[in-house]
Amino acid sequence: MGSVFSHHRTNADRSAKDRSRHKEKIEKAIREGIHDIVAEESIIGQDGKKKIRIPVRGIKEYRFVYGQNQQGQAGSAGDADVKRGQKIGQKQKKGKGKPDKAGNKPGEEYYDVEVTLEELAHYLFKDLELPDMEQKQMKEILSEKVKRKGYRSDGIRPRLSKKESAKQRIKRKMAAKKQGEIKIDPETGEEVFPFIEQDLRYKHITVTQKAATNACIFFMMDVSGSMTTEKKYLARSFFFLLYHFIRSKYEKTEIVFVAHDTQPYEVDEDKFFGRGTGGGTMVSPCIDYVIEQANKRYNPNSWNLYAFHCSDGDNWGEDMDRTIASNETLKQMCQFYGYCEITPEDERIKWGNGTTLSEAYDPYEDEKFKIGRIYRKDDVWKVFREFFRS
Amino acid sequence: MSDWNLQDLQDWDDRICEIAKKHGLDWYPITYETCDYYEMLGNMSYHGMPTHYGHWSYGKSFEQQHSQYQHGMTGLPYELIINSDPCISYLMLENPLYLQILIMAHCVGHSDFFKQNRNFGYTRADTVVPRMRNAKKRIQSYCEDPHIGIDKVESLIDAAHAISYQVPRYPMDIPNLPEEYEKYRLDNLDKVKKNKVDARDLPYKPEYDLLGFCAAYGEHLEDWQRDVIEIVRDSAYYFMPQIRTKTMNEGWACFWHYKILHELELPQGLHLPFLKSHNQVVRPHVGRINPYHLGFHLFNKIEERYGLEECFIAREVHNDESFIRQYLTREDCEELNLFSFSAKKDHYEVDDVSDEEGWENVKNVLLRQTAGNSIPTIYADSIEDGYILVLHHEHDGRDLEISYAEKVVKHITHLWGSEVKLITMVDDAPYEI
Repeated sequence: MGSVFSHHRTNADRSAKDRSRHKEKIEKAIREGIHDIVAEESIIGQDGKKKIRIPVRGIKEYRFVYGQNQQGQAGSAGDADVKRGQKIGQKQKKGKGKPDKAGNKPGEEYYDVEVTLEELAHYLFKDLELPDMEQKQMKEILSEKVKRKGYRSDGIRPRLSKKESAKQRIKRKMAAKKQGEIKIDPETGEEVFPFIEQDLRYKHITVTQKAATNACIFFMMDVSGSMTTEKKYLARSFFFLLYHFIRSKYEKTEIVFVAHDTQPYEVDEDKFFGRGTGGGTMVSPCIDYVIEQANKRYNPNSWNLYAFHCSDGDNWGEDMDRTIASNETLKQMCQFYGYCEITPEDERIKWGNGTTLSEAYDPYEDEKFKIGRIYRKDDVWKVFREFFRS
Repeated sequence: MSDWNLQDLQDWDDRICEIAKKHGLDWYPITYETCDYYEMLGNMSYHGMPTHYGHWSYGKSFEQQHSQYQHGMTGLPYELIINSDPCISYLMLENPLYLQILIMAHCVGHSDFFKQNRNFGYTRADTVVPRMRNAKKRIQSYCEDPHIGIDKVESLIDAAHAISYQVPRYPMDIPNLPEEYEKYRLDNLDKVKKNKVDARDLPYKPEYDLLGFCAAYGEHLEDWQRDVIEIVRDSAYYFMPQIRTKTMNEGWACFWHYKILHELELPQGLHLPFLKSHNQVVRPHVGRINPYHLGFHLFNKIEERYGLEECFIAREVHNDESFIRQYLTREDCEELNLFSFSAKKDHYEVDDVSDEEGWENVKNVLLRQTAGNSIPTIYADSIEDGYILVLHHEHDGRDLEISYAEKVVKHITHLWGSEVKLITMVDDAPYEI
């Protein structure tokens, strides 16, 4: 009796499909963890090369396991001499900045993925498209780009190419030699063969016109009393995504932060997410301000304009009509205008009376103007996708 | 390149088989397949099954093993053999001849164990390969079914895998639960006063087969869902004996490869590297239990103390728990230098060592982590109003990791189709999830 031997006839890479499903899950985990990542990062002032570490929780397979009070394990000490009560080894701690709970748990798996913001953007945004970008490029103001392109026999003095001209003269000289046409200076005995007009070569320059891909994003946010820290935190995550997404599509991106209560205030990033003011809310002055500034500073004919507004839906009732009118104007100017209403779950019931902005805006939603609603952290990514799904 | 060809393997195998037979080993014939390391990793991810249903967790397992291998953290296991008739084993092309010889002798030990140990009596080794192939096809067809799709199938398998260790530990044929319950009703008419089995009275006694119970009585389950759960259940019953006998199985295989290779009278050039590899395999892992080490040691001691005949009996009737309970002596604990330790606030501390007063404690701690005893035991206790499945944890002093248990209960809810709760103890107080 013997065994049977054969060479394994492999069906290629058998785990390939299961590996790609696993990878998809990790990518999803990164996306779902995005709000935790972005909470730490400031939106602007980063060149995209900065590396950030993302702890991606391993896709865990949960089972019933024993916890902390396992009450001891047995092991072999090998050749070592162990005594009762002896300390052996530190417990490992994983995940910096985590309270000591992590790491002691059974098999907490973290994949620490180090990515640049650029890569992150690519990772997150690879299957999303900016709406209406192409159309805009057509009527874009073109920026000129100068490029060298060969040599010509005509040109202006500063562009004379000595090297090419010398080459031409050499060519002509060789030809003349064959013909025996080179004169000799009788006094010095040297050949006389000067440059002539036809030898001269000039660098040729072409001007290409390149579509200027500039974008400006207006971030508007309600900072009135009702906007709590939690809401701002969600807004911040949302703005972070928007900024990095749009940035990844354009060469140059500018941001204008406009906070508002009943008045608009153009502020820097810190103040924008910083302390709020008290009091009521009026949206139209803010939108009007953005329209005004856009016209003044970012000519819609040469800039791709984006506007996003986050609020908790609160607006002074009398202002609603004017807001909607202004909204229309802004929408026409922009490539895309998004409104996002942030209402944490526990507040959803309270807003029984009074029309929220999203309700008022609802009939006007179209391709260029979209409304998103964020109730909890997970929605940030969902709304973002809604906005840009092509 | 390798210093062998298939003919060499065949020749050595003939001699190995001859020696093994002479000693009275009786094993399933073995089919060896050679493969490269990458294919080996692929096969390992699927427990060595030539075909196995797909699930992302196997991709994860591959990635982990592959990256560990590439970082040199672990070598590949030398041998991979599955409990089937005939056994299928893989030989890596990269291995030198002496190692292949060692592996083949080792595999004979495993194959004998699969065939002879009573724990494997119900694993239906003759049909496992077609069963797995069939399961793969069915699961694939559910993935491709436009009404189902891979996402649903995957999350169902996620849920089923979460309790794939929650099957009876003792060897038994996979029961048809509804039939079992009907039989029980008829046998206990004085207790169960109903004309037919009423699901809401179930289970009549603690039911450890959670997958089976969910598949049979879960609410709103579609046929394909029951089928997927049954597939995972079948494989859970199939693998449980291997979990229960890891130490013995490896010990037996090492015991025999060692004996056989000595009798093969290998030339020096093969014998020395063989001894080196053997010592690598059966060395103690400091701070842990190396099942190869412990099992090899114990079978050698049994032979020394009671004769070879006793070894054959032990390999037939025991599982790791009863095996260690019966044969591990104080002398062994001392020789193996076993100790127990536990986690303190920020370090580990030695609790007991294998001396006169400590060795039994150490042995008890060891028993609680072998033979699948490190897996908590959970059973279905009853069904409450609202079709709430009530699970109990057999608390033995060790608390469950609650954060995990919560996730698993959620998974069971998925399978059960209705509410599920789990009763356990945390810090000596009752705790309900």
